[in-house]
Amino acid sequence: MVSEKLYLKGDKLLNILDYDFKSIKNALRMGRKETIQKIKDSELKGRGGAAFPTGLKWQLASEVEGEEKFLVCNADEGEPGTFKDRYLLEERPLKVLEGIMLAAFAIGADKAYIYIRGEYTRAIEVFTEIIAAARKNKILDSKIFDSNFKLEIKLVRGAGAYVCGDETSLLNSIEGKRGRSRIKPPYPIQEGLFSQPTVVNNVESLCCAAEVLNPDSEEFANLGIEGSRGTKLLCLSGDLNKPGLYEVEFGKITLQEIIYDLAGGIKAGENLKFVIPGGISTALITAKDLDFPYSYQAFEKRGSSLGSGAVIAVSKKHDLLDLMLNVSRFYMDETCGTCFPCREGNRQINKILKEFKNSGQKIDAELISDIGNTIRLAARCGLGQSSLNFISSVIENYGQELKIGGKIYA
Amino acid sequence: MLKAVIDGIEMELKEKMSILDAAKKAKINIPTLCYEEGLSIYGGCRLCVVEIEGEELFKPACATDIQAGMEIKTHSKKVRNLRKNLFELIIATHNIDCQLNCLTCSRANNCELKNIAEDIGVSKMRLDPIKRGEGIDNSSYSIIREPEKCISCNRCIRKCEEVQGIGIFTTANRGPETVVTTFKNRGMGNVECTNCGQCILSCPTGALHELYQKDIVLDILSDQTKHVVVQTAPAVRVAISEPFSNQAGDISTGQLVTALKRLGFDAVFDTNFTADLTIMEEGTELIERINSGGKLPLFTSCSPGWIKFIEHFYPEYLDNLSSAKSPQQMFGALAKTYYAEEAGIDPEDIVVVSVMPCTAKKFEAKRDEMAGDVDYVLTTRELASMIKSAGIDFLNLEDSEYDELLGVSSGAADIFGTTGGVMEAALRTATELITGQELENIDFDIVRGLEGIKKAEVEIGELKLKAAVAHGLGNARRVMEMIKEGEEFDFVEFMACPGGCMGGGGQPISCADNVLEKRQQAIYKIDKEKKLRKSHENPYIKKLYDNYLEKPGSEKAHRLLHTKYKARKI
Repeated sequence: MVSEKLYLKGDKLLNILDYDFKSIKNALRMGRKETIQKIKDSELKGRGGAAFPTGLKWQLASEVEGEEKFLVCNADEGEPGTFKDRYLLEERPLKVLEGIMLAAFAIGADKAYIYIRGEYTRAIEVFTEIIAAARKNKILDSKIFDSNFKLEIKLVRGAGAYVCGDETSLLNSIEGKRGRSRIKPPYPIQEGLFSQPTVVNNVESLCCAAEVLNPDSEEFANLGIEGSRGTKLLCLSGDLNKPGLYEVEFGKITLQEIIYDLAGGIKAGENLKFVIPGGISTALITAKDLDFPYSYQAFEKRGSSLGSGAVIAVSKKHDLLDLMLNVSRFYMDETCGTCFPCREGNRQINKILKEFKNSGQKIDAELISDIGNTIRLAARCGLGQSSLNFISSVIENYGQELKIGGKIYA
Repeated sequence: MLKAVIDGIEMELKEKMSILDAAKKAKINIPTLCYEEGLSIYGGCRLCVVEIEGEELFKPACATDIQAGMEIKTHSKKVRNLRKNLFELIIATHNIDCQLNCLTCSRANNCELKNIAEDIGVSKMRLDPIKRGEGIDNSSYSIIREPEKCISCNRCIRKCEEVQGIGIFTTANRGPETVVTTFKNRGMGNVECTNCGQCILSCPTGALHELYQKDIVLDILSDQTKHVVVQTAPAVRVAISEPFSNQAGDISTGQLVTALKRLGFDAVFDTNFTADLTIMEEGTELIERINSGGKLPLFTSCSPGWIKFIEHFYPEYLDNLSSAKSPQQMFGALAKTYYAEEAGIDPEDIVVVSVMPCTAKKFEAKRDEMAGDVDYVLTTRELASMIKSAGIDFLNLEDSEYDELLGVSSGAADIFGTTGGVMEAALRTATELITGQELENIDFDIVRGLEGIKKAEVEIGELKLKAAVAHGLGNARRVMEMIKEGEEFDFVEFMACPGGCMGGGGQPISCADNVLEKRQQAIYKIDKEKKLRKSHENPYIKKLYDNYLEKPGSEKAHRLLHTKYKARKI
């Protein structure tokens, strides 16, 4: 029987006096260099979707010179199907706080921002109180735990744009600008918030970092398999008997086990058709192909990604075209409107699918692949580049059933 | 230096160079749409994407610096196909239909989109146009916006913000509803727009154009009961031929006059005449302010874009503005008084039309303070279009002379058309009037050229005159800030448009390179070749004062030739 590995998950912990801040104390004792080395050794990768090595990011940022540096915690959890950061913020906010402190200390920042999705009203309340409590208990501001480490944390509430989950759009939004991606390079590490060196880390990544540095959970960094270390929070939803938030060890559990054991299988009377493994910007995995260990590399091998950890089980009762239209509508509405391929391409794809749904007229296979490739190859940021991953995978796997010829990504 | 390969050509290139610039060096044209020289990189249209060996996704050439060892394909089959597909997506948002189409478009004969389509080799259109149902913004006296044509390339936004330092446009909404608009969608006439029209020059789609008066003027020309007089601004004569010849820098003063006569104007006069007059009035005002300890620095007042700018953003400095009307308005006032009397025509029957390189002049003519001086204002572009529609073979026309009385001018008036020109013209006259001696060298090179801000100290007898020249409102703002911080000047020339009037928002939209330099050279050439080069020596100006106005700054001159300004809100 498979089971969860609980590190990030745990009992609700909101009272700052009940939390011992062992990781940050440990880091303050070790110093910045060694702290970063520990994170590098842990092979921790970003949990927001892009999977960039966290230790490397910290190291690069720590080596950059700047008037000041910023640490930004990306809590603009907008990927449909994802609710892990919300859980962490509402139930384990002290771990998030400690992660922010750790990262700021490691890169040499004395200002940090946490940008929380605007709809997360409870999380915003909780974290506001946590910051206030931390200041009151002299855990923030200056001389933190009797060291020279100073840190101010500001909470910024998002205004509802999905694109602000992209790190450069998020930085624009904090600066009060329109939420649109920036041209890279320069990367945020070189010129980020207010043109200063900035590290943007996902909530879960920061919590993982706190786990790595925690002397009580030394084994955390050795969990998993090479290339996929530690644990991952999974947001299981869809046609499952026991949807919810689960924490699993990388590489030690298959997607099959996640769906059928952890989540109690598919609802009575229904059959699984496919799984969306990492939010709607990832390509689907068919029901036949679930028997592989959950890891970054296993998904990559299948042309998909574990994304944000939003695992959505989809049974056969759904209309595939409706699903595609739903996802397409989302991307059409959420493009920032800056780059033409993403803005116009997603509009046209939505229009084509809608017409197909309404009239049943044959889809111009060449046209959809022309538009699809244009978006994927030429869009300005990750939102656009991945906006058709799901739809493309539906057509690739079920094109015949849908009577859609051709492919989106040709 | 670094080495890279572009389309098989090995190149040695400087670091920090964009792929777009590197390709230019290799004589390769990469199509661009949202890119404009002098503006920040936007990276939105993605038409300039290229393939880089070893990278899966394409990169925009405008926004990607070339790296050592890069192998770049700018026109591979994949890239070419992608550009075609992308262009189809773009053109679908441009909403071409029966009402809005290429035939009726302001950019019918120089459409940037059409040129790009040709460069890309577009061969099919599979997507229906998208209707957004946005109405036309006709809230401004100068500029019309047709949002249905807008493709959100953001060039107008960046031009207004980065070059002019104002920022009346913004992007609103997201996703497919993304639009370019003004603050709270109030319309260009209800925000801090200075009417300079620089946005029109940047717009690749024809979504921005001047408020047309060409059809009304054509109608009036066929009304026999009206006596229609026309004036032409200094910068028009060095640009009017561009739409016909597709080259810049030609002087076509004589052909311009002939064309206007053929169009049926009853008298063809020159704004240059009142430019000379402006020097007399403004110069007198300067000397008076210096001698009597009046408010300094004195600011020039010929550029209506600059006037609206200072009224919005620096109203506390309105007293520094010369009270002299602009040459256009002086002309209108004289045409309906002095000229009417001399020619024995009832002023009620006189219609004054201006041909201006400027869109803000349309607004200026409507100002309450001067209403009625000038009836209609045409841009250089509008006049070119009228000449075409009248079947006039412009380039092969013989030359004609301006009508006398309000048609003779000095070279000092010609240079009003370029940045530094008003300053130089004023210096020529002020120096001679103050010292009573003839200038040996009347070329004031110190205020020439295209540098954004020029400062000069000029010795006039005992007096050391501190002068500054700014063109483009971004530079105007910089000079205003210098003044605010205490820098001292006596006389400052401000022009709203980069380059001065020759770069005005009403000038032909040229595809030629270095247009401003070429127009400027042409302007200085006209001046150089004229015998009469100082405003105060213009015999018709002397005659005007002798017979009608008495002397510069007289009560009558003030009534006809001077005006007031008003503070506006931000």
